[in-house]
Amino acid sequence: MGLLTLINTIPYEWDNVLAIIIGLAFGFVLESSGFSSSRKLAGVFYGYDFAVLKVFFTAAVVAAIGLYYMDYLGFISVGQLYVHPTYLWGGIIGGAIMGVGFVAAGFCPGTAVTSAAIGKIDAMVYIGGIMIGVFIFAELYSLFQPLYEGSFLGNITVVDYFDLNPYWFIFILTIAAILAFILTDLIRKRVKKVFY
Amino acid sequence: MVNRKLVKALKFRYVLLAAVLIILAGGLVLIPKFEKHVGIAPELLLSNAISPERYISTDELADRIINNDPSVLLIDVRDAISYKENTLPNSINIPLENLLNEDFEGYLNQEAYDVILFSNDSFRANQAWIICNRLNYKRLHVLKGGINEWFNTIINPSQPTENMSKTAYDLYSFRKAASMFFGVKYIDQIKKPEPKKVYVAKKVTTTPKVVVPKKKKKKMPIEGGC
Repeated sequence: MGLLTLINTIPYEWDNVLAIIIGLAFGFVLESSGFSSSRKLAGVFYGYDFAVLKVFFTAAVVAAIGLYYMDYLGFISVGQLYVHPTYLWGGIIGGAIMGVGFVAAGFCPGTAVTSAAIGKIDAMVYIGGIMIGVFIFAELYSLFQPLYEGSFLGNITVVDYFDLNPYWFIFILTIAAILAFILTDLIRKRVKKVFY
Repeated sequence: MVNRKLVKALKFRYVLLAAVLIILAGGLVLIPKFEKHVGIAPELLLSNAISPERYISTDELADRIINNDPSVLLIDVRDAISYKENTLPNSINIPLENLLNEDFEGYLNQEAYDVILFSNDSFRANQAWIICNRLNYKRLHVLKGGINEWFNTIINPSQPTENMSKTAYDLYSFRKAASMFFGVKYIDQIKKPEPKKVYVAKKVTTTPKVVVPKKKKKKMPIEGGC
């Protein structure tokens, strides 16, 4: 709880200021590591660049290991962390739609904004597409509502749902991540190089 | 120019990083596990324990019951047999053994009422208080001294001696009145109905005497009601 209570001592009014600072830092890192390039992001699907997969998988594994060490040392309590609620079918179908958008445009919403910030026109078109999608969803909300609010599983994690030992789960996930890195490296070496 | 040894070492940097990750994750599996502290932080429990709000005195409780305070929720943590023998008015029986029973959670885990836990003395009520406090339940109090103290102060208050202060006398009169509210009858009060019978015959002579008892007569019907 130690670190969490430290966060609680920051006044509520500073939340937006902190959010802007963190957002700027996030955008800067995205841009400086080349994620504002749609070719780099689409590379995951064509097999010539797996940076996205490596970055996100590493982030997840490092965060999980770090959180559980801090939980072990009593700095934070894993049980107190916010867990995003799961709407199973909404998540699956929404994820598939987002995947199609991802491979078609070569952006995820976050990288699209950084790309638009450095003046890429395709990113601006992509953001326009997001807005149209949001508009359609909002207008037809009554149609989508059963999917959007259905199959609610609560604020669960994989560990809770399958009743696994979290430590072993993280260990196996780490091994899986490293295996995935090795495998994707092999694929990348076989695929014809694309320069961008 | 370029440090060749460093370049050679950096060739293995991904292997090294992967090894670090595996070692850290493996360490997570291997580190000795310990029983995690459940419930509120120990410091908070301690500060709750030394808080003056933890205890409620029998006088304060009597005052609140007599004034029909709707926020009082009395909980008897003794076993069901003692509860049937004697208890405080309008109390709920939650034996200490069944304290964590889901049926009773609604009574304990709420913020609308002042929960007042009591037992024969403060001991079992304090145990219940600690358990509920660790579960972060709010507005919990212990009746100081429990039913024994209730009996000694409210039901059977000791008469102050002549050398005691006025406050002691005030307290005694409050306690005596409270005990009458809870149905105790005093000899000097019981006498009064007798002059009442006489009262019909001789109106004039006894009137001054009757004035005082009349006030207490008003209290008598309330006793019966309870």
